[in-house]
Amino acid sequence: MTLLVLLFLTLLLVPAAAAVHTLLGRNTGWFAAIALVVLGSFSLIWLPDLIAGETVAEYLPWIPTVDVGIRLRLDGLGMVFLLLVLFIGALVMAYSARYFSVKKKTSDYYIWMLLFVFAMSGMVLADDMILLFVFWEFTTLCSFFLINRSGDKAPAPAQRTLLITMAGGLGLLTAVLWIIVRTGTTSLSEALQHQVWGDDAVFTGVVAVLIAFAAFTKSAQFPFHLWLPDAMVAPAPVSAYLHAAAMVKAGIYLLLRFSPVFEGVVVWQTLLIVCGLITALIGALFALQRHDIKEIMAYSTVSQLGFLVAIIGIGTPTAIAAATIHVIAHALFKSSLFMMVGIIEHEAHSRDIRELNGLRKAMPVSFIITVLGCLSMAGIPPLFGFVSKENLLKGFLSAGEEPALFGPGLTWTITLLGVLAAVGTFAYCGRIVLGVFTSYTGTGKHDDAKEPMAPETAHEASLSFYAPALLPAAAGAILGFVPFLFDGLLTASTQASTTANYEPHFYLYGGLSTDLMLSVIIMGVGLVAVLTRSRLDSFVPRQIFPWTGVEVVEKMRTGSIAFGRRVGDVTRSDIHAVHLTAPGIFLVGIFIAGVLNVGDVGEFTPGHTRMTDWVLIGLLAFFLLGTVITHSRTAAVVLAGGAGFVVGAWYFALGAVDVGMTQLLVEILTVVVLVLVLRKLPRKFHQVSRSRTAVSAVVAIAFGIAAFIAAYALTGRRGQSPAAQWYLEETYETVGALNTVNSILVDFRALDTFGELTVLGVAGFAILAVLNSAFSTSDSHPAESKLWIGTPLDHAADNTQAMRSVFNWMAPFIVLLSLVLLLRGHYDSGGGFISALVLGGFFALRYLVAPSDSAVKLRFDYALIIVGGIVIGAVIGLFGFMDGAEGSYLRPIVILEGIPLPWGTDAGFTLTTALIFDVGIYLAVIGAVLVALDRLGQAQRYPAELLKAHMKSQGQKTSQIERIEMHAGDDPGDVPLEAEGEGWHPGPYTGNRSTGRGDEG
Amino acid sequence: MSIAIAVGLLTAAAVYLFMQRGMVRIVLGFVMASHAANLLLFAAGNTAYRGVPYIGTSDYGEGGDPLPQAFVLTAIVIAFSITMFMITLAITTTHDDDTENDEESAAKVLSAADTGDTVSSSVDTGVTGAVAAGTGGADASPISPVHDFEAQDDDSAEAPNTDPETGEHPRREDPQ
Repeated sequence: MTLLVLLFLTLLLVPAAAAVHTLLGRNTGWFAAIALVVLGSFSLIWLPDLIAGETVAEYLPWIPTVDVGIRLRLDGLGMVFLLLVLFIGALVMAYSARYFSVKKKTSDYYIWMLLFVFAMSGMVLADDMILLFVFWEFTTLCSFFLINRSGDKAPAPAQRTLLITMAGGLGLLTAVLWIIVRTGTTSLSEALQHQVWGDDAVFTGVVAVLIAFAAFTKSAQFPFHLWLPDAMVAPAPVSAYLHAAAMVKAGIYLLLRFSPVFEGVVVWQTLLIVCGLITALIGALFALQRHDIKEIMAYSTVSQLGFLVAIIGIGTPTAIAAATIHVIAHALFKSSLFMMVGIIEHEAHSRDIRELNGLRKAMPVSFIITVLGCLSMAGIPPLFGFVSKENLLKGFLSAGEEPALFGPGLTWTITLLGVLAAVGTFAYCGRIVLGVFTSYTGTGKHDDAKEPMAPETAHEASLSFYAPALLPAAAGAILGFVPFLFDGLLTASTQASTTANYEPHFYLYGGLSTDLMLSVIIMGVGLVAVLTRSRLDSFVPRQIFPWTGVEVVEKMRTGSIAFGRRVGDVTRSDIHAVHLTAPGIFLVGIFIAGVLNVGDVGEFTPGHTRMTDWVLIGLLAFFLLGTVITHSRTAAVVLAGGAGFVVGAWYFALGAVDVGMTQLLVEILTVVVLVLVLRKLPRKFHQVSRSRTAVSAVVAIAFGIAAFIAAYALTGRRGQSPAAQWYLEETYETVGALNTVNSILVDFRALDTFGELTVLGVAGFAILAVLNSAFSTSDSHPAESKLWIGTPLDHAADNTQAMRSVFNWMAPFIVLLSLVLLLRGHYDSGGGFISALVLGGFFALRYLVAPSDSAVKLRFDYALIIVGGIVIGAVIGLFGFMDGAEGSYLRPIVILEGIPLPWGTDAGFTLTTALIFDVGIYLAVIGAVLVALDRLGQAQRYPAELLKAHMKSQGQKTSQIERIEMHAGDDPGDVPLEAEGEGWHPGPYTGNRSTGRGDEG
Repeated sequence: MSIAIAVGLLTAAAVYLFMQRGMVRIVLGFVMASHAANLLLFAAGNTAYRGVPYIGTSDYGEGGDPLPQAFVLTAIVIAFSITMFMITLAITTTHDDDTENDEESAAKVLSAADTGDTVSSSVDTGVTGAVAAGTGGADASPISPVHDFEAQDDDSAEAPNTDPETGEHPRREDPQ
């Protein structure tokens, strides 16, 4: 067992739980709990070593060029948090198995929770600062998704939480990057040993502020405390984990991790103590205002975290040890209490203490568990919470040990404020217990009263439900008697988060001391507060500020959305001139800068222009002129295709056989698809004003001249490039290919090609997505088509008969040609792209000779061909690693040599993985071509839902097509016959529709 | 120099077409622009070397630069797929491919719906998420319409058109 294995296993748990979920449903919680307990028990094997003062460290390279690695390191501090993450995680998982109803969808819940466990484990183990940041942000994301999935009220709070915690993440990133720059290492443990911390006070101060900011947002410290109660929109188990072991504890972990370097840094201590105490006090105050027990619990967490932050700010070894033990105690009682909140709302159907009434009799076990948790939180002996609170008080008092920083007055001020917050803790603990289990309602004179429930309507939860809550509560009760168990671990932990060699000792009763006196005072005053609770309820103000924190953050959230929209408004237009102006201006700027700076460009290489070029120029000018001046769409498409052919001819003239073939094939396919699409559009282009034409012409000519000057001045002057020479000389020796172009595509730059395949696939799916979700324009039927009825022109099948016969003979040869081109790609012109386009030509021809589009409709899922092609490319790339130390992704591997095929060299045809990659290219290109042909070439296809909406808007009856359901990815098919009933006509054409749809019989 | 003239001609045609009205002309302009870019790539490889760049085909020092050829080959195919996508956009409108019909512009129609204060109006800022959630913390979730822990008792949250007995989505019958 190593740290890497442990971390990997926590990650592996995610897919494992997803698989188990298909069998067990919500009971996956038990599986996850057992797995986490096993992992937690395994990690205990490091405990003796850690107590002996050793650490465990491992390293796996990640981004070695910038020294970022998966560095893991386990010390005492990491161990405390790791155990909390795993064991509290196990409890919460077990609890979830009963919390959610059987019908509730929980698969994604378990995935996110276990990812959360993984992220937290990774964070406390990370010894690389980049890795730490990654896991830190990962916990933020996990909590966001866990909150966000909790119903339609959840997105706003989830986004608010994300905004706050992400801002903190940016603070951490800034801090981490600066530390890396200043210390020259990404290793956290090494960076913390660096002497720069002592030498550069400004650096230390700024980093202290950034780290504190990051931790404050994560740990919900004033003024960022708001998100924690806001996140309570999530179900109880999420809250339990968030509050007890994850998320908020991540901030505390960060503070403890960095506290050795900030010992005695005034800005750090001031920030932590001031914000911590404010948080502790306002948390307690807010908890006393509220009636929702979940909200009270949330503010109680805020308050307890305030204690922790303040005590870390004091920074003496006593204080740090106190913080660590309080983290453990808090995890125990808070996880238990939050699970109890879930159980109470489960069994009593309310969380409001105004409604909850006298549940003591109906839910006796819940009563005991809640009382145990609350007594521990309030710090009543002999519970574990008492020990930790004693230590907190000791920690506050220990500030006096450093008279340079804290005078006696300051020490006592801090301590007394802490005492006051502890009294508040006592009071709200009483509020929870009495509010739920007695008739106490917690309403003051400012509050609305509510009808209390009848206690008999609630009943006790089952053992399997409350057991996970009982365990930590019972542990809190027992550990109070044996707190010395933690001496060893906390010694290791304290020494990891301080520079001192301090050994804390924990005990239940250590004789009369100042802190014990303070505890007695807390309990005494707290008891008074509980006894005078009804007067206190009227005394505590219900609103302190004129605005709530939620309002402020909500303003920020909507503000950022509105700001984003305003930025987007600039381009939110169909008028493409708006989109093209900015790049146009930039191009002009680049051109002017180029003209001013290029200077003497030298002489052309001889032979760069030949006589035949002028023929091509003439043809090109003719076709281009035709394209721009014609008003007919069909003519423009055909003329543009002509220009494309000239360009293809040019490629041949330049010796680029493969490129020329590709160009010609693509041009054919483009023209075919464009002509198919033109049916849906008017025959003429839109008219534009004469002056606009003139302006367009001037601008166009200006840009043309600029492009000419750029191409003229910047190309054709140096000899053959070194890259060209290398390819022409070395290709055969390196990969055994003769066709350098194809070899570059599949051997040398295969990863680029793979990226291009993905682009092709994305374009194909984008076309499908657009056509499946939006209306397309209707087919426009020429007015003359009415006259064709009854004439031979109306017989589409007869009219295409001759071409179809030719096609039937040619088809096998086209397919064969395509396969030959694919196979010989390495040796002669051909390869995946060209052969796929040839096959695309086959499909295009099949289209053109068909009597109607529905006769050639493809009945298979061609989108899968794209996926198949990309998957083949991706998988075959992995074999590249087989090439020993030289191995890399998509490196070609020879499979078989000397195959007797008509292509190849003297040594015969060599089969390499590059050819299989080429097959991937072939399939992806074919898929994209088929998508374009089949979906753009077919008649109107309406997604049925949109069709219904459209018919409704036209006042047509839609009842008959009530049961049409579109599925994502389905081809919507032809217009349903039901939809073509009375009153339905596609587009402007109103004549006999059998003519328009061709001959289908 | 001839290739520079071709690049200039194609660019001029592309820019002219860009400045017209209607998606099809813009798509054609895009095709011209991609031709221009491809020829420019060839020009960068120096058009003085025009031999077929296969091993053993051209004389030494004659073969063209294979690198821009490989670039252009994939560029052509990608330009094709992007052209097809743009063409798809041209026909998924209401009447024709007009790009300057501001009233029916999808951008305008869609943004009109959410420029209102819909983002904030649905959010009660007076309370934290804890209270807003109501009992159960999952009020009216699309997944669980009632509570996290209570079985849903109405089918309102299920997808429309589900078969009440099997719970499956009926497939549309073949209209033929």
